[in-house]
This record gives sequence, structure tokens and C-alpha cells, in this order.
Amino acid sequence: MPKSLQDNICNEVMFSSFFKKHYQSLYSYLYYKFGDYLNPEDKTQEAFTKLWQNCGKVKPEKAKSYVFTIGNNMMLNEVKHHKVVLQHQKIKPKSHTNESPEFLMQEQEYLQKLQRAIGNLTESERTAFLMNRVEGKRHKEIAAILEISTKAVEKRIYRALSKLRQEIEEL
Amino acid sequence: MKREDLIQKWLDHALTPEEFEAFTQLEDYEELTKMQTALQYFKAPEVDVDAAYNTVTTTQKDTSKPTSWFKPLLKIAAILVIGFGTYLYATLPTLTMHDTVAANKTLVKLPDTSEVALNAVSSLSFDEDAWEEKREVNLEGEAYFKVAKGKTFSVITNDGVVTVLGTEFNVKQRNDLFEVFCYEGSVKVTHNDTSVVLQPGQRYLILDGKEFRNEEENLKEPMWIHNESSFKSLPLQEVIEEFERQYDVTVKAQNIDISQIVTGSFTHTDIDMALQSITLPLNLKYQKKQNSIILKRD
Repeated sequence: MPKSLQDNICNEVMFSSFFKKHYQSLYSYLYYKFGDYLNPEDKTQEAFTKLWQNCGKVKPEKAKSYVFTIGNNMMLNEVKHHKVVLQHQKIKPKSHTNESPEFLMQEQEYLQKLQRAIGNLTESERTAFLMNRVEGKRHKEIAAILEISTKAVEKRIYRALSKLRQEIEEL
Repeated sequence: MKREDLIQKWLDHALTPEEFEAFTQLEDYEELTKMQTALQYFKAPEVDVDAAYNTVTTTQKDTSKPTSWFKPLLKIAAILVIGFGTYLYATLPTLTMHDTVAANKTLVKLPDTSEVALNAVSSLSFDEDAWEEKREVNLEGEAYFKVAKGKTFSVITNDGVVTVLGTEFNVKQRNDLFEVFCYEGSVKVTHNDTSVVLQPGQRYLILDGKEFRNEEENLKEPMWIHNESSFKSLPLQEVIEEFERQYDVTVKAQNIDISQIVTGSFTHTDIDMALQSITLPLNLKYQKKQNSIILKRD
């Protein structure tokens, strides 16, 4: 590992660039993993606040896993308090309406099925799958964020896809 | 290329244009594209990164370096030292000491108004703070106690312990002599694990490790209180030592059997009279030379 110039993340420029690079990423990760119900945005902010407050104790190369671990733990604590069914983003109605009402209804139905199927995935499958499909991240990038191997990411995503297809077909 | 591999590659966003062409020909294509489109509804909302950045960076920053392991340890150690020191200081017995030198007597008042008359060359100490819990004094030498009524009163000497409830008694502890005389009430003497209870007028005596008990005349107080030392059936040695203590002199005995048993007394106020009362009955002569006295056969 190259030796970094700073031995902590207190430097303003450094913190700022770190913040902009990883803030949305942590938020998305928590959102996919735990859903919107438990306020992942608050947890993301708290995690970065913790990093800011303790910047003297955190080395730059450890900062990313620091905020991800804190964010994740905070969400887990919250989960302990509320055992909830995952509820993903409300499906927004489309603005254009040149489709037939029948088609719209079918589409709504499909989305509901998909939502339920996503809720039934395991946390690790859902997180990796949504990062891949929605954010368009490649396996390698996801592996880096989750700190697991590319192979494991690949397996999770493929398994998630199979589960979703199977479940939608059954319903 | 196999169908599964194509899907895997699609999942990794790694299809080449040719592979993509093949992928579109798959029977899964339509279903996968539909799902892909639908999944976009599940995208995590955009967060306002700049607003969040401002919120986060306005909080107080702690830039302190990680503290080393011994700093908190030092704090703990300091607390322990202070605590232990205070504890020791608070619980250490603070002994009150009273000493007398040769040719000197003193009267000591104890916290409970008990009185102690301290004979020459004696030392008395007690813990004033713990007096409420235990009435205990340490004695070296000779003292006469008038003990006020109350809890058990103990006199601790090297030769034994004297315990009473409220009474008057005399304790004498010199080199090889330990004598307790009870004047009033009753006194319990403990010596080498054996206990003896004395009634008024009774004397308990240990001389050279041998125990004697006998009745004495009915005295109200020890004679030495009234500046006179009296002896009953004691070796001449003891008389000479007491004389030395009372007059602060050294006495040499030449060709005299100092172990012979004598009974008698001498005054503390007149050295010549005292010497006469010792020497006359024994047919001895004495010579005075400043601070030393020589006893000789007639």
C-alpha cells in the first residue's frame, strides 16, 4: 500500500473529496440493504459526522471502511428496534399517459410483483443486485465497496436474478 | 457463446457489441430488459451531498491523536494512590504518648476522665480516636489507674494484659518483674494465656517467670503516689533499680547479695533518708559521689 502523505483524514480538501466520492455511495448501499423505512440518509450523515469528529484517529485508507461499518452498524441497531418489512420506493406514476389503461395496470402489477420479490431477497443479494442493476456498477466496483471477492459478487447477483425471475413467474 | 455466459456478462456490463447482438437474440432478452427497466424505479434517491457536507463539517472536530495506553492508567493509578493514602491517613492510629524520665512522676487524664498516675521512667500511649470503641492503653513501666466506669478497659504490657470494667489498680512492668495490685473493684490479668481475677487487696506477681499470688495489707492507693516506694518480699535488685529511677542516680553494689528478699520502703523526697532506710536494716554502708552511689558491707 502506498504510504499516504497524511496520517489522518482531517485535512479539509481531503475530507471534502472523500465526502463527495463516498456519500451517495454509502447512502445507496444502506438504502438497498435496509430499504427506505429506517432512514438511511440520517445514518449516512451520522456516519460521516463521526468520521469528521474523529478524523484524527482515522487513516485515509481506512476512512471508507470506517464510514461503511458505522453506517451499517447504525442501521443494524435500528433494525433491532424496528423489525419491519422492507418497503422500497413508492412507484411513481409516469407523467406521460399515451398507453392504454390495461397496459398501465399490467405494468403496475409487474412492478408490485418485482417489489415483493426484491423484498424477499437476502440483504446481501439485494444490495449487490441493486447496486449492479440500478447504479450500473460493475462486479469489481461492488466487490471493492463490500470488501468481498468479485466471484462472490457475481454469485450473489446471479442468484438474485434467478430468484427474481422465478418468483415473478410463479405469482 | 452459451446463454448463461451471456447473461453473466450482461450482468457485469461487459458485453461486446457482437455479444450484445447475440444477447438480444436470447429468449430471455425481453424479460430481462423489462425487469431492467422496472428496476430503475427502485433507484436510491439522490441525496444532497453538499448540504450534508455543510452539516457534517460544522460539527466540532476532535483532532486529538489516539492517546497512549498508559495515560488512562496513570489516572487510575493516581486515584488509587490518593484513595489509599487518605484511607491510611484516616485509619492510622494516632497515638497519644506520655513519657516520664527518672525522678519524675506525672498524672495523665484519659479521654473518659479515667486517671493514670505514671511513675518514673515509664511510658503510656493510647489511641484517642478509637477511645470510644475500645479503652486500651499501652504501658511500659509502672502506673496507677483510676478507671471510670464504662466499657472494658485494657492495659497492654509486654508481659501481659490487664482488663477491668472500672476500678483502681496498679500495674508495674519492669525488666523481669510484672506486678498487678488491685485496690478497688476487680481486675483480670492475662499472662501467657492464663487469666487471673484479682479482688481488692490482692497482688499478682511474676518474677523471673515465676508466678506469685498473695494478699497484701488493705491499702487504698499505692505508696508511690505519696512519694514512697514500698516493697514486699522482693529481691534487693528491684529495690535498687527503683531507687535509681526515683533519684536518677546509678547505684553500685559491692560484695552484696542483691537477690536477697527484702521488705520495706523508701521516700522519694530525701535521698539520705531513703538510703538509710534501705541500708540500715541490711547492715550496709553507702557512699555518695555526685550521681553515683556505692553500697558496701559494713
